Amino acid sequence: MLVNWVDNIVIPSYEIFQTKLGIMATSAEEFASAPSEALLQQLREDWVNAYIEYQNVELFEFGPADKYILRNYFNIYPADVSGIEENISDPSANLQVPDAYPRQGFPALDYLINGVGNSDLEIVGFYTDETSGSARINYLSTVIARMEERLENVISEWPSYRETFISKTGLDIGSSTGLVVNAFVLEYERYVRSGKIGIPAGVMVVTGGIPQPDKVEAFYKKDISKILALTAHGAARRFFNGEARETGEDGPSFKSYLDALEAKDETSGVLLSTIINNQFELIETKIEVLPDNFHSAVQNENEAMVEAYDAMQALVRYLKVDMTSAMSVTITYTDNDGD
Amino acid sequence: MKNYLQKTTSPAPLAVFRVAFGLLLFAGTVRFWLKGWIEALYIQPKHFFPFYGFEYVKPLGEFTYLLFFICALSALMVAFGFKYRIASILLFLSFTYIELIDKSTYLNHYYFISMVALLMIFVPANATFSIDAWRKNLNVSGIPKWSIDAIKLLICMLYFFAGLAKINSDWLLHAQPLRIWLPANNDLPVIGHFLNETWVAYAFSWAGCLYDLSIPFLLLYARTRRIAYVAVITFHLLTSLLFPIGMFPYIMIVTALIFFSPDFHQEIIDRISILLGANSKMRPVVTYQYHPLTSKLILTGLVVFFAIQLALPFRHLAYPGELFWTEQGYRFSWRVMLIEKAGHAEFIVRDKNGRQAVVDNKQFLTTLQEKMVATQPDMILQYAHILRNHYATHGFNEPEVYVDSYVTLNGRLGRPLIDPAVDLAKTDDSFSDKPWIVRYHDDIKGL
Repeated sequence: MLVNWVDNIVIPSYEIFQTKLGIMATSAEEFASAPSEALLQQLREDWVNAYIEYQNVELFEFGPADKYILRNYFNIYPADVSGIEENISDPSANLQVPDAYPRQGFPALDYLINGVGNSDLEIVGFYTDETSGSARINYLSTVIARMEERLENVISEWPSYRETFISKTGLDIGSSTGLVVNAFVLEYERYVRSGKIGIPAGVMVVTGGIPQPDKVEAFYKKDISKILALTAHGAARRFFNGEARETGEDGPSFKSYLDALEAKDETSGVLLSTIINNQFELIETKIEVLPDNFHSAVQNENEAMVEAYDAMQALVRYLKVDMTSAMSVTITYTDNDGD
Repeated sequence: MKNYLQKTTSPAPLAVFRVAFGLLLFAGTVRFWLKGWIEALYIQPKHFFPFYGFEYVKPLGEFTYLLFFICALSALMVAFGFKYRIASILLFLSFTYIELIDKSTYLNHYYFISMVALLMIFVPANATFSIDAWRKNLNVSGIPKWSIDAIKLLICMLYFFAGLAKINSDWLLHAQPLRIWLPANNDLPVIGHFLNETWVAYAFSWAGCLYDLSIPFLLLYARTRRIAYVAVITFHLLTSLLFPIGMFPYIMIVTALIFFSPDFHQEIIDRISILLGANSKMRPVVTYQYHPLTSKLILTGLVVFFAIQLALPFRHLAYPGELFWTEQGYRFSWRVMLIEKAGHAEFIVRDKNGRQAVVDNKQFLTTLQEKMVATQPDMILQYAHILRNHYATHGFNEPEVYVDSYVTLNGRLGRPLIDPAVDLAKTDDSFSDKPWIVRYHDDIKGL
């Protein structure tokens, strides 16, 4: 299982993502050297592709990615607009502190290429401005360079970490499987269920039932929040089934492990892995019917969002309670539903 | 009966037991301290879960260290038999106080230690091989036989009740929860891959049950004692290898020594005495004497004590519902390692003006507490009251507290544990049945 995860899922996924991030970085360079609407559109397209691809690696927040807290630097939203403005005027600003997380990564880029003007012309104008244009270009480049550097750190450490990873068998705290289960459940509960659906739909917060449209992922681009959520959800499903990134074939995984343990619902005799996979599919259909744009979804058809959330909540229970108990893994993190 | 009460026996087994018990407790306390658990379990938590009826037991903040210090010191004094009566009282009180602070740390073997410590107050364990005996030049050759038998009886009850509790359909017919727990160790050398096998889980389940039921008798009879003790060592070392149960295996291995003959213990005493250069020869014919009234009081107390001990494991019969699910009458009854339970509980606080909050458990509880709360109804209720009081002072008008809970038991698919429609803020705890626990769909047959 550990070998399948590293060799067929984690490392290949990172490599594909790195390529797409590289393409985005190249477009950004071209845009930076001569800002134009055409180059902006190119950059935006590549940003969308990279952002979608990122959803396939966000769940690997263990080992090197955990060490470099990749998610914190790549995808903490909503973006901190005033913080970004501040950093633009102060090129030496520290980007390593927690306050700086929402000032970089994909959400910051979202703002920088979609949110700084009402039209592409205005956005280009933001960068060609005589007084601040170059500082803004610099920040855009800095953000992207940092993402590349961070990702490179993670990817380059995996080959050496791989040995440690596959040697730490067992299921106690500190074992690789324990690590992965915790990261996997945490990612799905907090960053997919709560982050992408629950918080914008107003399910989690003290205000109770009042949607928070400004907290959607890709707030400025708006029409990609569904594809981002679907991709992240799909990545979790594929990881659960141990699907190899390149061949699409299922390998040793949570699913095969649960099946080997014969974990099932005693009343119906249905395998736990089947129950979980059915729930993954159900959620997929519930996300499919949502509009591309969650920003409008939470304002106009929030019931459908809440329905998707409820289905995800049921999955969280299967993963967090039934799966971990069947595997005898200890969940080490505690809840934070982000309110 | 009268005859039995007059019987005396060598004080050696009890003296060796005292030394071992004191040293083990001292080691256990120091271990607890060094692992940083005093801080993590008794100082850092913002809220605590006292036992019903013991709400006056409060955490002591930084003074918890003093409490542990008293516990460790009195354990050492007990081991050396120095000012034994005071030391044994202090040991019982300090140890029990610690255990009563927060029920999330409840373990059957802590309860066992508490009960042994209680018995130890009333027996003449310092009659020989102790500083007390040496100072008063009071080495005796005989103590009442019942004083050793009381300890043996408690140990026998622990095993036997643990065995009886294993006679249930999950344990014997489904090999649960061992079927879940054993494969988690499949990376152990040599035996690892066997642990994946279903038949091994069954073999362990049945062997464990037979072991618990028979070991008291095998230890009591001289002819089977040696082989029984080998079984004790094997069994407990194996469990310590497979499960994270801390000091418990060692405590059981050492306490079982008390079943051995006076000669065996006398030899231990003699050898250690020679090492220490002390004279251990007992003065013949001197028998430890209680004042007749004291003796009467103690014996009456023991009868009451063991009557309670006998009744507690059966008190669950007074409650409807599945014991493993409701846990009404589960603690203090030697039900050891019988259930694999995991849960997820989300608390919702509402007030009259329609304000609503989904509680972030992490703000209130430690990881351990959250895990314990999620599966234990009485702790869910206590926590709901903590939340009620907290939100009442944070702008919520007469807060109502509801819980969305989901619990899995011995490999069954999870289910709601608590009725989500019940306002826990207005529900009080008591010894009577808790109707707000959802009745379990499955029936686990057994005692």
